[in-house]
Amino acid sequence: MFALIKIEWLKIKKYPAFWWMLGIVALTYPGINSISYYGYTKATSGKEIANNIAKMLLGNPFAFPETWHSVAYFSSFFILLPAILVIMLVTNEYTFRTHRQNVIDGWSRPQFITSKLFDVLIVSIIVTLVYVIVAAGFGIYADSSSTGQWASQLQYIPLFLLQVFSQLSIVFLLGYLIKKAFIALGIFLFYYLIVENIAVAYAQFKLKDIGRFLPFEVSDRLIPRPAFFSRFGKDAKVSYDHALGLIPEHVIYTLILTTGIWLICYAVHKKRDL
Amino acid sequence: MQPVLSLKGITKSYGPIKALKGVSFEVPAGAVFGILGPNGSGKTTMLSIILDILKADSGSFSWFGQPGSPETRKQIGSLLETPNFYHYLSAVDNLNITHAISGRGDSADIDRVLEIVKLTERKRSKFSAYSLGMKQRLAIAGALLGDPQVLVFDEPTNGLDPVGIAEIRELIKELARRGKTIIMASHLLDEVEKVCTHVAILKRGTLITAGHVDEVLAHEDIVEVSSKEPERLYTTLKDFPGYTHIKQEGKMVEMFLPTGTAKLEDVNLYCFEKGITLNLLTVKKKSLEAKFFELTND
Repeated sequence: MFALIKIEWLKIKKYPAFWWMLGIVALTYPGINSISYYGYTKATSGKEIANNIAKMLLGNPFAFPETWHSVAYFSSFFILLPAILVIMLVTNEYTFRTHRQNVIDGWSRPQFITSKLFDVLIVSIIVTLVYVIVAAGFGIYADSSSTGQWASQLQYIPLFLLQVFSQLSIVFLLGYLIKKAFIALGIFLFYYLIVENIAVAYAQFKLKDIGRFLPFEVSDRLIPRPAFFSRFGKDAKVSYDHALGLIPEHVIYTLILTTGIWLICYAVHKKRDL
Repeated sequence: MQPVLSLKGITKSYGPIKALKGVSFEVPAGAVFGILGPNGSGKTTMLSIILDILKADSGSFSWFGQPGSPETRKQIGSLLETPNFYHYLSAVDNLNITHAISGRGDSADIDRVLEIVKLTERKRSKFSAYSLGMKQRLAIAGALLGDPQVLVFDEPTNGLDPVGIAEIRELIKELARRGKTIIMASHLLDEVEKVCTHVAILKRGTLITAGHVDEVLAHEDIVEVSSKEPERLYTTLKDFPGYTHIKQEGKMVEMFLPTGTAKLEDVNLYCFEKGITLNLLTVKKKSLEAKFFELTND
């Protein structure tokens, strides 16, 4: 197993796109959260009654322990950055025909898929680490008096990791089956940004929220909207509590979906001509 | 002695097209085994199957008496179809991956094989910056890594210049002298004839013949005869006993006889008695090219 990780590291460590992605994620995650934080401080820093109401309603979503939840939520919009990398990592193997060479040189076919699973896992862990650093940084910066509560809501770290891994696994499956980077990326962006969002919104009102079982939405529900959304009336509170209550259920769905994706990859790779 | 590779009834189809139709043969240890065939005859398909890149529809193969597996592939240095490397990595980094996967060679050996294929000076350059010939050389270096006992080369001289082709030919001969088993697909017949001890000829997925080069080629002796009067020579030789086929090629007459039956003194005496003086009389083996065309033409 470690041999596979070592070989994947040999492939990745000098791949420029990997470091570019890491750099962009390292800038984007603090960036998007800073924008949200700026909006929050702007709304709450004045002395007007409206500012005080805003402060009362919002609390401080970037103070501990809420920061784990808020930063996870805002960061999750940017899954498309590591998704591009994952698509490149799998389609490169087809472009360079190294998916054949690896097997010719002595890998079994399942070992090839396992090595790619590690790629996706490594990227997911790196993205999660960036998220943890950003969330912790905001927690300390936004309200240093809240640091005593840092250990609450830590469940959002594994939830974020699971969400990232699951969504990148879907992206991997696309790249693996389609083989062409630009086509896979195009389909992913069209589906992720447009089709699923429309389908989920439509299903929410017309089809008893059946859209929550769509591939990306299954794991999107692992991290509901931050807690301050629940403070805008009774319905919002009910909706928020309902979303929180569904998390354990969606953990199971996400695990089933992700396991299914990898089993499909193993099964296809075992039989298909390379 | 146990054959290095044994194929039994390998069949492969791509939709309605049958790429291989029940191909069976054995590669003995220490052989330089040439696989010949026109484009689309199934050479690369066959090599891909024995390297687990393609799945055969039916039939089986074994390496060293065992079914093909990752462990058997690790003992074989292979170049299949094209040089397959990570474009953004250097020669050394790419061969490090080959070493890590196959277990063949080490860092000193990487330097050794790069020296053999004359890439030492460019060993830190990215693969994407290599010329076609250099890429091919790197693929050969990858196959040589760890000095494996068995090598599979699919069109090893693709993209090489004449000097490079001669160098690879010498390399293959050198490997053969050291007892390596080499399985080589090529459409360069001259290439195969110069280095191979055994050949197999494929045509539209069917194995036409396989065996030792001398056995495959040595069905006929060709006696080449020439004189100042080629027309008369041709007419006269038509009455010579024992040939299977005779034809006039410009000023020369070619007479085909069963292997071992060509006696030049008899031909010379026969012509002399008919009042024809010869200015050329020689016997030659049929070239692989001639044999190849004879076997593969419809």
